[in-house]
Amino acid sequence: MSVRRVIAVLVISLITGQAWLHEEVFAQGSDDIQKELNELKQMMEKMQKRIDDLEEKNRALELKAEEREEDVLVKDEDVVVKEETVTVPAAPSQQQDQGFLGKVVQSLNPEISVIALITPAWYSLNNPVVFAENDPENTGVNMQEIEVGFQSVVDPYFRFDSFSSFRTEGVELEEAYGTTLFSMPLNSQLRIGRARAKFGRINQIHRHAQNFVTLPIVAAEFLGEHLNPTSVEASFLVPVPWFLELSASGGSPDVETPTFGRSPDANNIGNLLYIFHMANFFDVGESLGVSLGASFATGSNASGPDERSNLYGVDFFAKYRPLKNNPYQEVSLQSEFMWRQAETPEEELEDYGFYAEGIYRFAKRWNTGLRFDFVDTNTPVEEADEDGLEGETSSLFGMPRQEEGDSREEATLGLPGRIYRISPMLTFNATEFSRIRLQYDYLNGQDYGPNQHAIFLQFQYAIGAHGAHPF
Amino acid sequence: MKMNESFLRLTLCAALAAASVLFAGGTAEAKVRVVTSTPDFAAIAREIGGDRVDVESLAKGYQDPHFVDAKPIYITKLNRADVLVYNGLDLEVGWLPILVTGARNSNISTLNSPGNVDASRFLTNVLDVPTGPVDRSMGDVHPSGNPHYMLDPRNGLLVAKGIMEKLSEADPENAAYYEENYRNFAKLLELKIGEWLQELAPYKGTKVVSYHKNLDYFTRWAGFEDAGYIEPKPGIPPTPSHVADLIKKMEAEDVKLVLASNYYPQKTPRIIAEKTGAAFLPLPTSVGGEAGINTYFDLFDAIVGEITSALESRSGAAENAGLMRGAI
Repeated sequence: MSVRRVIAVLVISLITGQAWLHEEVFAQGSDDIQKELNELKQMMEKMQKRIDDLEEKNRALELKAEEREEDVLVKDEDVVVKEETVTVPAAPSQQQDQGFLGKVVQSLNPEISVIALITPAWYSLNNPVVFAENDPENTGVNMQEIEVGFQSVVDPYFRFDSFSSFRTEGVELEEAYGTTLFSMPLNSQLRIGRARAKFGRINQIHRHAQNFVTLPIVAAEFLGEHLNPTSVEASFLVPVPWFLELSASGGSPDVETPTFGRSPDANNIGNLLYIFHMANFFDVGESLGVSLGASFATGSNASGPDERSNLYGVDFFAKYRPLKNNPYQEVSLQSEFMWRQAETPEEELEDYGFYAEGIYRFAKRWNTGLRFDFVDTNTPVEEADEDGLEGETSSLFGMPRQEEGDSREEATLGLPGRIYRISPMLTFNATEFSRIRLQYDYLNGQDYGPNQHAIFLQFQYAIGAHGAHPF
Repeated sequence: MKMNESFLRLTLCAALAAASVLFAGGTAEAKVRVVTSTPDFAAIAREIGGDRVDVESLAKGYQDPHFVDAKPIYITKLNRADVLVYNGLDLEVGWLPILVTGARNSNISTLNSPGNVDASRFLTNVLDVPTGPVDRSMGDVHPSGNPHYMLDPRNGLLVAKGIMEKLSEADPENAAYYEENYRNFAKLLELKIGEWLQELAPYKGTKVVSYHKNLDYFTRWAGFEDAGYIEPKPGIPPTPSHVADLIKKMEAEDVKLVLASNYYPQKTPRIIAEKTGAAFLPLPTSVGGEAGINTYFDLFDAIVGEITSALESRSGAAENAGLMRGAI
């Protein structure tokens, strides 16, 4: 477009220049010359008209192409635009952007993202106590997780998100669920498929978005890394002045966890896993946000045909981020408490645990934090009788994983007893897409076992689609 | 026993859910509810919508629009919106999509929804659209172009027209009213653009260093020349070596103006300005960016005013210095 314009401007200036020349030379000429001059003038006028017409056509085409009906710009504005297109290298317009890049952007492929967590680790024990599968397993360099995500809108009514977690031991389909996008009665929304359940807070946060290298023990022990049954979940946005969401889901506990498992009587609808959650969020001024939640999950556990587990949770999160003056500083506090009741053929268990973490982001790319973990299960359990039970019996008891052949394994089968852990960390986010995190874990086994020290240096890389920043 | 207990709880939760039904009843209100991602769009929507619309912006004007917290409370606001106006070109990619999905609102939930208004679609020209291959080694690149287009007031005209059309679609009864408001707004803005350009005219070609590429639309419109950026790459904080190079470049090219949005760190730009003898201006770059900036006009009044007065006092000072030297 701009090239044509330049040509037009050149032609105009040539012609007007010519006119000026003619006038100069033949100013005092005879009638003949005057006649000729007039003819020339007419010719020029014709040409001028033609140029105008062409320009008009040109502009019309341009408008058509850009689907603009009106030229709202003022006249001297227009002049500025012309000047700009001549002097400044013309900025490519959106419509011209039909190259390779445009096609990539326009393609209907889902958004793809890959996020890697690679963690060199050092443990003070030769057989380190590890709670979650994604935690670094031993001294050495650990591939914690490669998360591969595919996300897209399906059609005007649904979107679909799927995340698979690749680890050394294999692949887990972490999430794969459809979400309704249309308005439904009661401000409700359905999620159908396997999803990190709305239970508490950390259960809904992907590993790479969590604040520490290791998972809180209570989440590892009670939720089994994360509670992600394949289910149908309905959540309701209650019309109150603050954010209040109630959600309920029912589904198959097809991912074994220490608390829930598929009952031998799996086709009984009462033996499915049901999860309820209430989430509140309040804005306290523009700088402070507070979130309070309560959760309840109930379902069969794998220890017997009629044995159930109930899990109760409360969660708290507060973030203080002054919007003025220190835009990249923030302080956040997060804590969760869980209480579990579990029936086994032998006895009823009750135990609890919690964690609390504080994060201080002191510069755009830096943050530091401290977490305190505590689990109290003073009822170590003997290994359940395997008669009549469908495999996986010990999963209920979610003991810390230890190297095979460890003599302590037999003795400590069951819940880990009373344990606490303190973890300071320091994180550098080079960009939104890469991160280095240094963390120290001090684990005090109390009546369970020896103390353990660990140091981690976690590297994180994210490629592909720009993910959302979780709140 | 246990079973019974848990089912009791189940029914309790069901009852809670049922209770929400009762509360969910009619919130019928005549006004069109407009939610915008940033306050510039809110300001324009207010001009066009007048008293027939309720307008609210999620981000504040003194906040970096790239990094807004996706607070759940915004879901509540989006849930009730008839129209959502946002910047597009990936400016809000880190926080808005997740909120829109959570909003459960057919008016805005997909790109195709009637009230889902990506304002970048109203533009005729987008700067910095990469022409070659891009990757993130170039920093925080926006593959579809520089998203800070509202700092060129001519784009304000285009966006206002687009918002007028969308409001008329959402509320056809008041279409004439919106159109009239738009015409008045456009007339005034055209007038003001002329004034601002006149004020800026003496400083055409002024070389400028800015913190982030978010002032490009403004500097091009104002006829300034971008001499460099304090960020070595978009989104990457300044490094000492880059700052040293920049200072050398500024001295070589005699750059006398350093600009930064007032939400960016002010320390480095200030030091650079001090070392090169340039003027440093922390600028409000969005409506609400400073107390007293309540309209789109206020915004450019403030930016143009601050820049011209800084350049004026500078040239005045230079003349004085010249006179002094002459006198000696």
